Amino acid sequence: MKQKVLKRSKKAALVLMVPTATFLMAGCGQEEAVQTAAFETVDQCAAYYNPEQCKADLGQALTMHTQVAPKYTDKAACETDFGVGQCETPAQAATAAGTEPPAQASSGGFFMPMMMGFLAGQMLNRSGGQLKQPVQAQPLYKSRDDRSTFRTATNTPVARGVGSTYIKPSSVQPKPAGMVNRGGFGAQAAKRSSSSSSFGG
Amino acid sequence: MKKVACDERPGWRSYAESVGFEFHTFDGEPYWDETAYYQFNLRQIEQDLEEPTEELHQMALALVDDIIRDEEKLQQLAIPEKFWDFVAGSWRAKAPSLYGRLDLVYDGTGPAKLLELNYDTPTSLFETGFFQWVWLEDQIMRGKVPQGADQFNSLQDQLEAAFTELPLANPLYFASVANSIEDKGTVMYLMDIAKQAGLDSRFIELEQLGEASGQLVDLDGYAIGALFKLYPWEFMVQEDFASVILSSQTQWLEPGWKMLLSNKGILPLLWQKHQGHPNLLESHFEQPGQSFGAGWVRKPLFSREGANVELVTQSGEKISEPGPYADSPFIRQKFQPLPKFGDSYSMIGSWVVGNSAAGIGIREDNSLITKDSSRFLPHIIVD
Repeated sequence: MKQKVLKRSKKAALVLMVPTATFLMAGCGQEEAVQTAAFETVDQCAAYYNPEQCKADLGQALTMHTQVAPKYTDKAACETDFGVGQCETPAQAATAAGTEPPAQASSGGFFMPMMMGFLAGQMLNRSGGQLKQPVQAQPLYKSRDDRSTFRTATNTPVARGVGSTYIKPSSVQPKPAGMVNRGGFGAQAAKRSSSSSSFGG
Repeated sequence: MKKVACDERPGWRSYAESVGFEFHTFDGEPYWDETAYYQFNLRQIEQDLEEPTEELHQMALALVDDIIRDEEKLQQLAIPEKFWDFVAGSWRAKAPSLYGRLDLVYDGTGPAKLLELNYDTPTSLFETGFFQWVWLEDQIMRGKVPQGADQFNSLQDQLEAAFTELPLANPLYFASVANSIEDKGTVMYLMDIAKQAGLDSRFIELEQLGEASGQLVDLDGYAIGALFKLYPWEFMVQEDFASVILSSQTQWLEPGWKMLLSNKGILPLLWQKHQGHPNLLESHFEQPGQSFGAGWVRKPLFSREGANVELVTQSGEKISEPGPYADSPFIRQKFQPLPKFGDSYSMIGSWVVGNSAAGIGIREDNSLITKDSSRFLPHIIVD
């Protein structure tokens, strides 16, 4: 028998918009800790992982450093948190890393802690197998009063010293630091709202 | 194609509210209207609507290449020069697009005519993809429509497939303006489908979007890797965060190149390239001082919901809709009256997901200009 081909969807279900959805969604929130590692140098990293990956991860951490490091307008305030002589400007960070200094005007005129190490990201183990590890490589810092612990830019402690550690990926999701501006979209809607309730069409 | 009176489902309003369709009635006037439906046959759907939709879509896509290489055209479309590279870059990088809607004049016979492309922020999505679908299932069950009736509406299936298949960053953020329940409703529906496709969909009010070190960030300061924005590109490129569009690594839905196709200037460009095409209406960019006579419609390059549209019918009757979009250049389009069924004029919104036609939604208005207050009526196919 010939099956009639319908011109409409086979189903039209909703999961979020209906009140019962909360039951369906319950129980999805358990997050497993994964193994990763903190290093100060590529050589340390190469003892655990593929050296090329180690270089790439250090490079990524250096690039992110200026974007994610906590920012201070005042050098003394930065040193209160990270220790005397442990803070630098973006230009100094770029010189130390041998990269181009950031061009944006917004990156000048502030201080940030020096990068003390990096968290390894998606890594190959030394036998070449891919480790399933949804963690992004990123810079690590040390606070003034706890020089042994590596912390992310958002002050999450991730490792006591160099080597392997277990973390939940969501706790180390990197974010651009400080000085967030908001409200830069929506002005046209506010200006034109007298005649229309919708900005779709 | 005909309009058939039909009993409303008892209690449909409370059902609508239970699934988040709070704007079924707007300012005391019905928006969702199931006191009647439109009936088509399969040939009308497939030959007169589905095929032309996909053909017009391909013609529009083919214009993008022409436009990004032609400064004169970019200027005619009033694209700010600062964004030319962004738009061209998004096209060359094949930045994925989710959806679009073509507005068509069609009365059941003869070629459907393209009124415009809503290719950046099309709405009436939930009404089409979900509520109209449920209406049909209910009315078949209740015996109020012919058994075996179908609907041209694979919108939700196709959107779910698109969210599954498109190379999108996860989580995917969704933004709409704070004070529009209609826009929020549309976005909630898309978030729901994205969730069903396995994406982590997250809402943020458009006004709450942040910027840090040139990156677009969410309320917690995390970088936004992908953002669906139910907010027009032509607004965004004028606002304080315009430069963030250029510096942020964000993947945009709809992508930047949609700026070209959601623009009414696409209509004269389509006409120039395909003059006399049966699905196109003659259209031109307005020349300074040009008089405006019988049988023509005047539309701003950027407007929505019929705002700032003026027309003069063949018999010289003038109809106009006020609005806040008088600050952009205008186009002229040959007047093609919407068909009248009973007391109402109806227009067909024909959806595209990816490159496929995905269904229709019908809007009715008491005037020849379809507006945000126009009613939405369901349809069926009976063959």
